Amino acid sequence: MKINPRYYPAIIIAAYVVFLLLGILLGFGPERGGEGHGRGALMQLACLTLETLA
Amino acid sequence: MNAAAREKSFSLAKSRRTIQWLVVIGTFVIGLRHIMPGEVSRGGSFDSFCAFGGIETLLPYLFNGHTLKSTNLFNFSVLLGTLGVSLVAGRAFCGWLCGLGAIQDFVAEWTRKLLGESRHVRGKRSKTILPLRLPASIDRPLRYAKYFVLALVLVASLYMVFPVLLLCCLVCAFFSLKMSAFVWLSLIVFLAGSVLVERFWCKYLCPLGAALAIFNKISPVRIVSDNNHCNHCGRCDIECSMGIRDVPDNLSDPECIRCMECLETCAHEDALTLRVLKT
Repeated sequence: MKINPRYYPAIIIAAYVVFLLLGILLGFGPERGGEGHGRGALMQLACLTLETLA
Repeated sequence: MNAAAREKSFSLAKSRRTIQWLVVIGTFVIGLRHIMPGEVSRGGSFDSFCAFGGIETLLPYLFNGHTLKSTNLFNFSVLLGTLGVSLVAGRAFCGWLCGLGAIQDFVAEWTRKLLGESRHVRGKRSKTILPLRLPASIDRPLRYAKYFVLALVLVASLYMVFPVLLLCCLVCAFFSLKMSAFVWLSLIVFLAGSVLVERFWCKYLCPLGAALAIFNKISPVRIVSDNNHCNHCGRCDIECSMGIRDVPDNLSDPECIRCMECLETCAHEDALTLRVLKT
């Protein structure tokens, strides 16, 4: 399918924003305090689920 | 203005340059915000806005359960955004949204102007000496250096407590003015390299570019050439800042940064088109 090149900038910006927001929704948001963070709640849950399944 | 006139006045190159300036200014603002006292109270360090920081801290996070010093979980979101662009449109992040890539484009343009090119004619080889186009025998092997840098950084990240590239971080140098002797050195190499060779950093040393290169092979949004319309005039070759040879035959080259300069330069209607998949 052919795309009009004028939409290309919008496509890449939209892709960036959507995936950035997805990351934040997954629990990888900006955090105060800055450094050396442990796993977020969602990741902990995912790890626990995997461990339980294993 | 009617639709046809609007179509004619639209320029991908101008849109790209505008976005690049916005990225540079935006990153500089974030950098300034974070060199003010009390950086940690403003949603993490400046380094937590780095996509490559996400790659650097990924292995320690998966194996040891915590991120490297000066990075935090937000790095993964920024990395995810970058990967999202790459999944959709290959290395478009490098061509459109990377601050360092933008600076290299500006430096190449300013170099040509300083050396006497008053107006760039699209598709016509510049008469200025710089930036150089290295011969293939030198250029090709040097391009593998960035993959070596990427591998080195990934291995080092498992043994370090902070991101190893922070020692010579150009983004920190340009946008948050955090300087050290090693950063000065890499800044000089970066600027001198960019004057000598267009997109020097992207071609030979950028580990993020190396990590994103594979996406050029799988991304659905891509440029497609039509041999029935292309007369191989070479205008797109001349305009390619990444120095890809025989552009219409190498549109999925891992080196392509999807800047769309070839598409913008092409004088033959439908010789190069932007498509979702190849159909």
